[in-house]
Amino acid sequence: MKSVAIYGKGGIGKSTLASNIAYALSKIGLKVLLIGCDPKADSTINIIGKRIPPLLDLMKINKNPSIDMFLFKLDNISCIEIGGPEPGVGCAGRGLIVGINYLLENLDINNYDFIIFDVPADIVCGGLAVIVKEKYAEGVIIVTSDDFMSIYAANNICRGLNTLKVNAFGILYNRPMKNGIKYIEKFSRKVNLPIIGIIPYSEEIVNANKIMKTVIEVYPNSNISNIIKSISLSILNIKEGRIPNWLSINEIEEIFHEDS
Amino acid sequence: MSVILHPRPSPIAAAMYMLRDLDAEVIVLHGPSGCCFGPARLLEKDGVKVFTTALSDNELIFGGEERLKNVLRKIDELFKPKLIGVVGTCASMIIGENLKKAVEEINLTNKTICCNVHSGLGDNTIGAIEVLKEANKLGIISKEEFERQKYMLEMATLLEKTRGTARLEYIPNSPSDDPSKVAYEIIDSIKNNKEIACILNAKKETAFLFADIMIALKEIQEKIGGRIKFIANLDPNIGLPRIRNYSKIILEELNKKGVNIDFITGGLDEYPIAGIKAREIILNSSTELAIIAGIPHAVAIEGKIKTIAITSGSRATSNLKSLGYNFVINEYGAHRITLGKKHIHRSILGNTIRKMIRKIMRDTS
Repeated sequence: MKSVAIYGKGGIGKSTLASNIAYALSKIGLKVLLIGCDPKADSTINIIGKRIPPLLDLMKINKNPSIDMFLFKLDNISCIEIGGPEPGVGCAGRGLIVGINYLLENLDINNYDFIIFDVPADIVCGGLAVIVKEKYAEGVIIVTSDDFMSIYAANNICRGLNTLKVNAFGILYNRPMKNGIKYIEKFSRKVNLPIIGIIPYSEEIVNANKIMKTVIEVYPNSNISNIIKSISLSILNIKEGRIPNWLSINEIEEIFHEDS
Repeated sequence: MSVILHPRPSPIAAAMYMLRDLDAEVIVLHGPSGCCFGPARLLEKDGVKVFTTALSDNELIFGGEERLKNVLRKIDELFKPKLIGVVGTCASMIIGENLKKAVEEINLTNKTICCNVHSGLGDNTIGAIEVLKEANKLGIISKEEFERQKYMLEMATLLEKTRGTARLEYIPNSPSDDPSKVAYEIIDSIKNNKEIACILNAKKETAFLFADIMIALKEIQEKIGGRIKFIANLDPNIGLPRIRNYSKIILEELNKKGVNIDFITGGLDEYPIAGIKAREIILNSSTELAIIAGIPHAVAIEGKIKTIAITSGSRATSNLKSLGYNFVINEYGAHRITLGKKHIHRSILGNTIRKMIRKIMRDTS
C-alpha cells in the first residue's frame, strides 16, 4: 500500500490532478482510495460525477454514520470527502482531525493499493497538518506553477514539512508558462526535491472538469491523458521521499531576479 | 520572562464573578459543557443561573453561533432576565466565534454583556476588566466607576505579581499553622496588655468569613480586656451596589456585636490599596501585634512587628510564610463558604479563640 498527500496553493489544480491520478492508477488495476480533505468537499467530483455527502456533515446528524453513507465507488476507485465548515466559521483543522480519526477507526485502509489525500491549500495550522503529522500519508507531492505566489506557497509547505520532519516525494509542475521551467528547476534544486512531472495547460482538462469527469475518462488517448498516466506511474514507483529544505523570502526572490 | 508553573485563576472565571457583581441574573458560557464547571457551580450558590452552550466537536468544526442563539432565546423566554452575561471560553474563542453578532441577531443587545475572553489571555483580571468595559458601553456603570475598578484590578494584578502567588515561578502548597497555637499567641498578647491591631483587608464576599476574627477578638476583650484597634476596608459607599451592600451588612453585624471600626481603609473591592493605608496606620501607632485577615500580603508589615496572617488556600499560606509573616492561618475554602452568604460566618481561628477563652474562664472561675 502506498499513500500520498497532495499539497499546493489554493486553485493550483490539486483536486484535478488528484482525481486524474486516482483514475489513471485504477485503470492499471490498482484499488485506489481518494480522500478529499478540503472543507469544500469537491476533490472527488470528477470521479463520481456529482458531489458526495461529506463525512462531517453526516456525523453532525449521526455520530456514527456507516461506511456506505460516505464512501462512493467508481470501479476500482473509492471516494470519500471529509468536508468541513462553511467559509468564515468553525475550525476546518479540527474537522479534519475528527473526520480522519473516524475514518481510520471504521475503514481498513490496508485494503487499498494506493491512497491519495487531497489536502486544502497550505499547512496553515496543526489541524490541517494532521495527515502528514500523524504519518497517514507516507509522503507529500507539492503541486505548483511557476509564478511567484505559487512558489511562495510551495516553499511554505516545504517549511512545514521540514519542521514536522515529513518526507516529500517531489514537485508536480502544473500549467507551465513560457520559460517558467527555469524558476521551477531552481526552486527544485534549492529545496532538494525532484520534479516528478510537468502537466501542460490543457483545454481537454478544462472541458472534462466542466462535465465533472477526469480528462482520462473523457479523452483517454489524448496527449494530456498520456502525460498524466505516465506521471501516475512515476509516483507509484517512487521508492522514498526526503525532507525538503525551505527558502527565506530573499532566496525566493533571488529565483526570479537572478536572470533579470 | 518567567512562566508561572502552578495553575492560576482564569479570566473566564473572573469575568463570571464580575458579571455576578453587576447583578447579571444569567451567565451563558459559550463553550464545552465542562468549561469552568467549578466557578459555575459556586456562582449558582450565589443565585446566578449559569448555563453552557455545551459545544461539542460538531460546533467546534462548523461554528456554534446558532447554538448560542438558541440557548439565549430559550433562556430569555424561560427567565426573562434583566441582564445576561455571555462569556467566551478557550474553545469558542480559538475558532473565532462572534458573541456580539449572535446577540444582535436575536435582538438581545440592550441587556447582554458579551465578554470575549479565554483562559490563555494572561492575568485573570483581564476577564473582569473586559466585563466592566462592556458594562460601561451599555450604561450600567459610569466611565468614572469603570476607571476606578480598572485601576483596582490592575493594582490587584501588580500585588499578585510582586507579593502574591504570581511572584514566583512555583509556590508549593503549605499547611496552616495550628489554630490553637495562634489563638494562644493572641490571648497571651492581650493578657500582657500588648496593643493589637486587627485588620480586615478582604476581597468582596470573603469578608463574610474574615470579619469573624473581629467578633472573636471583641469577645476576648469583653472577658479579659485588652487594647485592640479595628481597621477594615468596609466603606459602604464604594463599589457596585452589591459590594456596597456586603459592607453595610457586615458593619451592621459587627456593630451589633460591639465591634466599632476605628479606621475604614476603603471599599471591599479596594483591597490592593486599602492594605497600604492599613500599613500606614499601624506603623504610625504603637501596635505590637497585627492580625490581618483576607489578603494579608497587601498589608506589608511583616518583619516590622509580630504578624498573624489569616488567608485562604494552601498556596497563599505558603506564600505568606515565605514572605515572613510570623503565623499563617488557612481558613479553608473561604470563597466556597462565603458565596451566597449574607451574614458573617464563623471562622476556624475565631472558633478556636472562643473555645480557648471559654476554657480560660472556666479554669479561673
